[in-house]
Amino acid sequence: MFQKIIEERIYSLLILLIMVCATASMVFPETFPTFENFSQILLNLSIDTIVAVGMMMLLISGSFDLSVGSVVAFAGCLAGLLMITFQMPVPLAICIALMGSIVVGFINGYLVAYKGINPMIQTLAMMGIVRGAALMLSGSGVQNLPYWFNAIGQSKLLGIQMPIWYMLFTVIVFTFLLNKTILFRQFYYIGGNEKAADLSGIRVKRMKMIGFVLTATLAGVAGILLSSRLGAALPTMGRGLELRVITAVILGGASLSGGYGKIPGALLGALFMGIIANIMVISRVSGYWQEIILGIILIGTLWLDKALQKKYSSLT
Amino acid sequence: MAHLKLDQISKKFPGVKALDGVCLTVFSGEIHALCGENGAGKSTLMNILAGNLQPDEGTLILNDKTEIIHNPHAAFDLGISIVYQHLSLVDSLSVAENIFANQQPVNTFGVIQFNELYTKTESLLQQLQLTEINPRTLVSRLSPAQKQMVEIAKALAKKPSILILDEPTASLTEKETQALFTILKKLKDEGISVIYISHRLEEIFLLADRISILKDGTYQGTFLKHDLKKDDLIKRMVGREINALKIESHLQEEVLLSVKNLSGNRFENISFQLHRGEILGFAGLVGAGRTEIARAIFGADNFETGEVMLENQMLNVTHPSESISKGMAYVPEERKALGLFPEMTIQDNIIVGKLTNALRGGFYNSERAKELAIDLKEKLRIVAPGVQQKVNNLSGGNQQKVVLAKWLLTNPEVLIVDEPTHGIDVGAKFEIYEILKSLAAQGKGIVMISSDLPELLGICDRIIVIKKGTIAGELSHAEATEEKIMALASN
Amino acid sequence: MRYRIVALIALFFLVRCELPSKNETTVVNETNDDIQEKEITNEEYVMVTTAVTMPMYMNRDQKAFIRWGKKMGVKISILGPVEWDVPAQINVIEEVIGTNPTGLLINGTDPAIAQVINKAVAAGIPTVVYDSNIPNANHHAFLGTDWYEIGIMQGEEMAKLINGKGKIAYMGILGMSNMEAGFRGLLDVLKKYPNIEVVGKFDSKASVEEAARISADLISAYPDIAGICGFDGPSGPGISLAVKEAGKAGKIKITTVDGEPEHLQLVEEGTIQLLAAQKRELFTWYGAQFLYDMVHHTNRLSQNDSKARITSVPYHVNTGLLRITKENVHQFMNVQEK
Repeated sequence: MFQKIIEERIYSLLILLIMVCATASMVFPETFPTFENFSQILLNLSIDTIVAVGMMMLLISGSFDLSVGSVVAFAGCLAGLLMITFQMPVPLAICIALMGSIVVGFINGYLVAYKGINPMIQTLAMMGIVRGAALMLSGSGVQNLPYWFNAIGQSKLLGIQMPIWYMLFTVIVFTFLLNKTILFRQFYYIGGNEKAADLSGIRVKRMKMIGFVLTATLAGVAGILLSSRLGAALPTMGRGLELRVITAVILGGASLSGGYGKIPGALLGALFMGIIANIMVISRVSGYWQEIILGIILIGTLWLDKALQKKYSSLT
Repeated sequence: MAHLKLDQISKKFPGVKALDGVCLTVFSGEIHALCGENGAGKSTLMNILAGNLQPDEGTLILNDKTEIIHNPHAAFDLGISIVYQHLSLVDSLSVAENIFANQQPVNTFGVIQFNELYTKTESLLQQLQLTEINPRTLVSRLSPAQKQMVEIAKALAKKPSILILDEPTASLTEKETQALFTILKKLKDEGISVIYISHRLEEIFLLADRISILKDGTYQGTFLKHDLKKDDLIKRMVGREINALKIESHLQEEVLLSVKNLSGNRFENISFQLHRGEILGFAGLVGAGRTEIARAIFGADNFETGEVMLENQMLNVTHPSESISKGMAYVPEERKALGLFPEMTIQDNIIVGKLTNALRGGFYNSERAKELAIDLKEKLRIVAPGVQQKVNNLSGGNQQKVVLAKWLLTNPEVLIVDEPTHGIDVGAKFEIYEILKSLAAQGKGIVMISSDLPELLGICDRIIVIKKGTIAGELSHAEATEEKIMALASN
Repeated sequence: MRYRIVALIALFFLVRCELPSKNETTVVNETNDDIQEKEITNEEYVMVTTAVTMPMYMNRDQKAFIRWGKKMGVKISILGPVEWDVPAQINVIEEVIGTNPTGLLINGTDPAIAQVINKAVAAGIPTVVYDSNIPNANHHAFLGTDWYEIGIMQGEEMAKLINGKGKIAYMGILGMSNMEAGFRGLLDVLKKYPNIEVVGKFDSKASVEEAARISADLISAYPDIAGICGFDGPSGPGISLAVKEAGKAGKIKITTVDGEPEHLQLVEEGTIQLLAAQKRELFTWYGAQFLYDMVHHTNRLSQNDSKARITSVPYHVNTGLLRITKENVHQFMNVQEK
């Protein structure tokens, strides 16, 4: 049991989360442990988490994608433009926007997997290109999106905002896929040893491409949800999202070298960051300090994790 | 005079007692061989000497002074230099910069003096009779054997008083091995203590003055070379007598794999046939193109012309996944880099061969995967606490069995094994031969690439000798001898 | 049977699904949470902006707000993301609403924050928006400048500076609605001058280096370029740097925004010809004061302002622009020390 907690980041992070929440509830008994506050925290991290699920999958397979933040903006702006300027029906606009995201993922995946371009460089370049495209499409953003489009992100089910449901749905579906389907399990092997995976009969290139396409698709979904929630599509959406998401995923147990990680870890990592940010807002920590504190927490958590693992392995 | 003395050294790892009260005395000016199966604790002992690990118990006495080696730098200061089995060179730097890593000659401002660096390197390489290596060449351009020699030069550049070599000849050719031995003997005459680790018993008897034996982390004694017979050594290492290879052919008439005029990168015009039940050996020097041929047949690399037929069917494959589904399997030479997922479990490493076998009701079932893995673990006698163990923690022999287990899962018709016993201890070697033989008995065809001639001579029905990418000759089991193979391979 | 259960569950979920209200502008809350009846406990005013560490925001908006808090002896807090990230600003506002502050001072960064402003108002929190106004939002007051006017002021001055003819370019942070309004103002003026050719609109990405790089490229591509207009703070020093390096200071006319010390310096030495600066200190000082006056009923205009659907402070304040040229630049220097 103890070993499991130490070895699986999911469990150690969960314990840390509970400890943080318990402390915060004692310090801010009126503002922190309320239903409203928690549904707000979850709502605020739902978009990040949907992207983080894709990123977790990519990190498991040993690559990552810096262009997701730009894809969020691109998908939202493309859908907005189609609905407002071209008066397209909502479902069609959403489909086209998702197709656009898939194309971005396809280009990333093709160039990384088949042409051997380093994922960092490829997706960094794509980040700029796609952000530029979002700006070109929407100028200063598209306002007054149609009612039914806004209903996607602003409705509630059982008193809980829809984006939270979408997030949970995404996490559950991808947890299932990565645990229970052969196709998705191959990501672990690719991340574990790409060359050995290829010689074991795994179509590494094709799988990498699938990883990039799915990540971009999830980013597209997140972009549509975000603009629906805002009621507007802004080209500045998702700025800095890529690093936030990678941070959450690393906190959630992924490794930059691949092979490690579980999908629920993406949710827990995002939740941890969301709760820390929420506590800082509640305790009125000035904005200047937030990034510094988040950085320290990230380093501290990973260091603690390493130290515990070392300690544990020396015990036995 | 005792130069180095280890007294009652013990070291524990999670679940294993790697060393248990080991004593060892090394004299100045001797070549001291250290023998033992993989997992016997040789590497742990070497890592303690190199400062990578700290012993839990015991003392280390160097020149009559008790020393504690906290880190590799401290080992360096004490004059202990180690040549690792796994290369520690940086591919993107020159030979000279690798050899003098961290101790480049500098001027008063700390700027590297490249001219001096190159001349120093040149003279060092000359001492080692490595005149064909230019100090300015990037390490990535060197052959595996040359890299190994540079690794040795790097260790000597530190002017050690104790030189430790861990399987230095694994990737060396005969000629280079001889050169290395000459150097080692010269070092010995200069009063340097050499600790030599190898699986190749012939070498040990050729080179060593004294031989120490480890088994399962315990010290089995030190012997003068003349007092020890080979069989005796094996018995002490393995703890049981190993039957000499028994030849028992399972060769059948039917042609299983037929390769015609295959040409590609680094090989040309390769034609041969593999029959059911046959073990076909591929001999040749390192770099002769054997691995390239195997990879092309398996579909891991493209070939230019020629054809491969499996059971009279054209094998047109562009990716290993296709050849695997048609009944091929390939065990690569570099086990850790190409064959295994080191950070994953035994179970994951085995089931990857055929993930569909773990399906239950259309979905991956890890219980099912576990059953299959446990079954194969027992069949192949993989020594590990459980199938959830990371393969990284296993010995080389058990790792190789995991790779074989993966392929048993796919039930292949043709199995290509590339240096299957490279760096594996004697006991495990024989178990792997047994596995290969039992596959042949089931009517499978096996292509075995190996640089270990006794092994090829022992179990192959037929041996094809490859030289510079072409077939230099073919020898039947009856006519093959080491001399004949070497003559074909090197002329 | 199983299908029936599934159908029942689906129906249940469908019934429990609440759609957002169709007409958001009419959300007026008349619950007990009303400003009127609220007792003032733990008086605290919270400012939520985005890009919280942007130097101009820190030196002007936030400094004035902090000064106001000290003078009034009340607690103030400044929150928001470090990046220019509107959704993150919205998230912070949402979380702040839950903590029930005395008053909210919100930087009107984008029309998309309308919803969360309405949520704050509905929760009974006095809410003031500054800088850019937000359409379709129910905030109690707004203080700011009309960015369109900034464009007009720059356009007219530029036309005069280059005698109504020549090539000009302009830059700002693309994708921000206030900047786009400024661009519109500029272009509307320039339309009247057929001899002025606009060679391009560029994204300075809120960075001095980027503005300098774009300007340097412009100067080599159009050696006869007559003027460059900048709409974000960093573009002034950026354009000036490139123009000076090309040895064309004073020859290529520059109009831009903001009155930070480095901008003023550049006006004084004659590199920048016009600054259209905002009175940012007034945004937050009076914005906070409005909140205070609302909460303390400094000027009681009705029995219950919320029920009367009024606010007791000015609804819309245009603080106007500072027009800074070489003639008056000295008056703006070293103001803080005085």
